[in-house]
Amino acid sequence: MNDAAADPLDDELAKARSGDRAALGVLVQAHQRSVYSLALRMLGTRDLAEDLTQEVFMQLNGNLRSIDSNKHLRFWLRQVASNRAIDQLRRRARLQWTSLEEETQLFSDEEDSDPLLQRHMRALLAELSPPARAVLLLRYQEDLDPQDIARTLDMPLNTVKSHLKRSLESMREKTAGPLPVRCEDNST
Amino acid sequence: MSNDIESRMRAALRPVAPREEFSQTLLARTLIETAARPKPRGFTAARLRPMAWWLTASLAASLVLAVGVHQHLEQQRLQQSGLEARREVLKALRVTSQKLNLAYEAVKSQSTSLDDEKSGV
Repeated sequence: MNDAAADPLDDELAKARSGDRAALGVLVQAHQRSVYSLALRMLGTRDLAEDLTQEVFMQLNGNLRSIDSNKHLRFWLRQVASNRAIDQLRRRARLQWTSLEEETQLFSDEEDSDPLLQRHMRALLAELSPPARAVLLLRYQEDLDPQDIARTLDMPLNTVKSHLKRSLESMREKTAGPLPVRCEDNST
Repeated sequence: MSNDIESRMRAALRPVAPREEFSQTLLARTLIETAARPKPRGFTAARLRPMAWWLTASLAASLVLAVGVHQHLEQQRLQQSGLEARREVLKALRVTSQKLNLAYEAVKSQSTSLDDEKSGV
C-alpha cells in the first residue's frame, strides 16, 4: 500500500544500471537471501540452491537495463528463480527429498521457530508438485498475495488459489495429528 | 485456526541467509561479470548515430549523382535526335533539288527540239 514511498534501493538500482559496481553489490546483498531461500526450499539442497542463486544473479547482470525499480527487481528475481527451479525439478523428474532430512538450513532457526512445524513443513514441501511448491513459498516466504503469485508464475489466479487451499488443508491435516502441540490447543 | 496455521507457516518459511562464503563468492562473481561485460548502450549511442549519419549522407549523394547522370544522358539523347532530324531534312532537300534539276533538263530539251522543227520548215 505504501508503494509511493521512495525506496532507497531505487537509487542503487539507477547507479548499478549506469555501471556502478558498488551499487550492484548492494542490490545483490539486499536480495540474495530471498533468492537463495526460494531456491533452497524449491530444490532441497544447499549446493543446488547456491548454483541456482548464482545463475539468477548472472542473468540479472544482462537484464539490469530492463529493470526500472527495486519493486520490479524483486518481482523479476522471484520470477526467474521460481521458473528456473520449476524447470530444474521437471528435468530431474523427482528430487531426492531424503536429503532434506540432513539439511539443517532449510528453515528459519530463529528463536520462535517450531521444530515440529518444520518437520510438517518439510513433509508438505516434499509432497507438492514444483508449481504448487513455488506458490506456497511465494505466499508464505515472500508474503505475496495470490494476484502477484499468479503474475510471477504466469499462472491463472484460480490455479494459485486452489494450490494454496490444498496446501493449507494438507498442513491442517498434518498438524491435526497426535501431537503435543495439538493437545495443548485442544485444552484451551 | 487457519490464520494460526498460516502465521506459523510464515514463521517457518522466513528467508534464511546463505553461507557467508557463498555470499562473498556470489558478490565477487557478479561484480567480475559486470566488469567483463561490454556496454551495449555505449556502442549503440556512440557508434550507431554517426553510422546512421554517414549512411544518410551517402544515400543522398548517390541520389544526386543518379539524377545528374540521368539528366546528362537525356540531354545527349535529345541532341542526337535533333542532329538526326537535321540530316533527314538536308537529305530530303537534296533529293528534291535533284528531281527539280531533272525536270528542268527535260523541259529544256523538249523546248529546244520544238524550235528546231519550226526553223526546218
